[in-house]
Amino acid sequence: MSDTVVVAGTFLISYGLILAYTVYLHIRRKRAES
Amino acid sequence: MTRVRVLLALAGAAVAVGLWLALTAPPDALQGEYSRLLGIHPPAMWLAFLAFGVTAFGSIMWLIKKTNRWDRLAAASVEIGVIFTAIGLFTGMVWGQAVWGSPWDWQDPRLMSTAVMFFVYLGYIALRNAIDDPQVRARRSAILGAIAVVQVPLVYFSVNLFRTLHQTQSIRPDGSTMPDEMLVAMLVNMAAFTLLYIALMAARLDVASAEADAPPESAVAGDAVRPPRLSEVEDV
Repeated sequence: MSDTVVVAGTFLISYGLILAYTVYLHIRRKRAES
Repeated sequence: MTRVRVLLALAGAAVAVGLWLALTAPPDALQGEYSRLLGIHPPAMWLAFLAFGVTAFGSIMWLIKKTNRWDRLAAASVEIGVIFTAIGLFTGMVWGQAVWGSPWDWQDPRLMSTAVMFFVYLGYIALRNAIDDPQVRARRSAILGAIAVVQVPLVYFSVNLFRTLHQTQSIRPDGSTMPDEMLVAMLVNMAAFTLLYIALMAARLDVASAEADAPPESAVAGDAVRPPRLSEVEDV
């Protein structure tokens, strides 16, 4: 696997985790409000 | 809610600028493309340190004031700190594999102290989930939050205090050891991650207040069962 792919994948997974947490907070808030 | 959306949009834009700078900075002569991880690895750990510092502050304030807002602040900050410690560990392992030839060294003080810090704060979250009484939960987690922060300087200075594979700090009082493009990319990402922390904290605190205002959950099977009171027991 090329270095570029590994580095790009590392950024993608890291930002994906942050995005997933943001979505999780949104769902939790909607559930609390309903 | 609008405030949270604006903050998240601003943080998203700042992170996009930081990512662009990290991906367009010239690669390092020795580390090649892996030097771009400077745009995420140190900023993620900076954010984790900041988050755990805020947790300690909230914990100490709860111990002094005993008001719910400080408990919520501490609990919200821990979640974000744990996520960014996980990102710091993951990006560090990828970088370690490329530069050291191994993602992990069980005898390395920096790696091990970071891992211990990660698990201690995971334990903080587990502790909160294990206690139903809000006052008991707040008191016990405040004590842990105030004590656990000693790990932050220990992790940060571990590269100076012990022999370790990990390099020492790149930014020192006498200047930086990095080329300007890399330094700018790292500093912009640190600022962007700080903004991201503020946005995530606002979102997490919104969740906490929405959950506090929510009516109690509907009854479930077993709720009606209670132990007998002595006054209700008749001798037969």
